[in-house]
Amino acid sequence: MLNDLEKKRYSRQIRLFGEDGQAKLKKAGAFIAGAGGLGSVISIYMAAAGFGKIRIVDCDSVELSNLNRQVLHWSDDVGRSKARSAKDTLEGINPEIEVEALEETISKENIDQLLSGCSLIMDAMDNFSTRYILNKAALQKKIPLFHGAICGYQGQATTVIPGKTACLRCTFPRAPPVTTFPALGSTCGVIGSIQVTEAVKYVLGFGGLLENRLMLWDGLSCSMDEVACMRNPGCQDCSALIGDANYKQEMSK
Amino acid sequence: MKIAMPDGSRKEMTVSVARIDEILKELNINPVEVVVAKNGKIVPEEETASCADELKIVRIVHGG
Ligand SMILES: [Zn+2]
Repeated sequence: MLNDLEKKRYSRQIRLFGEDGQAKLKKAGAFIAGAGGLGSVISIYMAAAGFGKIRIVDCDSVELSNLNRQVLHWSDDVGRSKARSAKDTLEGINPEIEVEALEETISKENIDQLLSGCSLIMDAMDNFSTRYILNKAALQKKIPLFHGAICGYQGQATTVIPGKTACLRCTFPRAPPVTTFPALGSTCGVIGSIQVTEAVKYVLGFGGLLENRLMLWDGLSCSMDEVACMRNPGCQDCSALIGDANYKQEMSK
Repeated sequence: MKIAMPDGSRKEMTVSVARIDEILKELNINPVEVVVAKNGKIVPEEETASCADELKIVRIVHGG
């Protein structure tokens, strides 16, 4: 149920998907992995849209060189922990929701605990080794993973629905080399916004998702393209789950 | 075979049939940095492509 303030706050969304839809967002718990460029856009739009619970995790502190793209953090936040800064900004945007901000490094050991109570995983990481941890956790818990990544003017996004689509490892079997990537804040804006739109549609249960589709954004030519992804039967991450009867059944649908 | 390169440029390659990893080697592209779509679908690099196929080589981005 929405209170009167919430009905007012979300009135333009309620025009889109009704109070029932808004109540579904209120019930949803999102785990946001990273409070950097993508994490800023994702968390700000999720908070503003009224996702009822947001848990955002980042182990770093705010640096001056982050501010061109990490709009969660402001000049006065330089030197503070990104988690703390994120919590302040998000609560300022929307005091109706529950924001948990944790100063943690995501690992195989702590991912289960970090995800407890969350039904959506938002990928806002800057490396594939952690993305593979998120991918495995999504597969094990059978919750969706909304992938996004950027470099300079370019970005990519896809939505992993365990039991239904290719997993992240099917599409990207190996991690690309880690480099210091150039980044334009507005590229994070494009890709993070796509990820949030996907999460909204998933929770509401309508619209077409980026299922088995890798969306490619090129800001330099201002073009969007997409390629199809397919489950790799030999995938090291999701093929282990094929023995699971439910998974097999869902895959054959 | 028509090839869309990661930088958006286009190339025409005259091979009857070749493995994707061989094509990448020929083009001097590190396979770890890209995924390759054949006729719009991402395929493993062990897969082959023939002259009628269109390849799109996509540079993977990893930043956030
Ligand atoms: Zn897989």
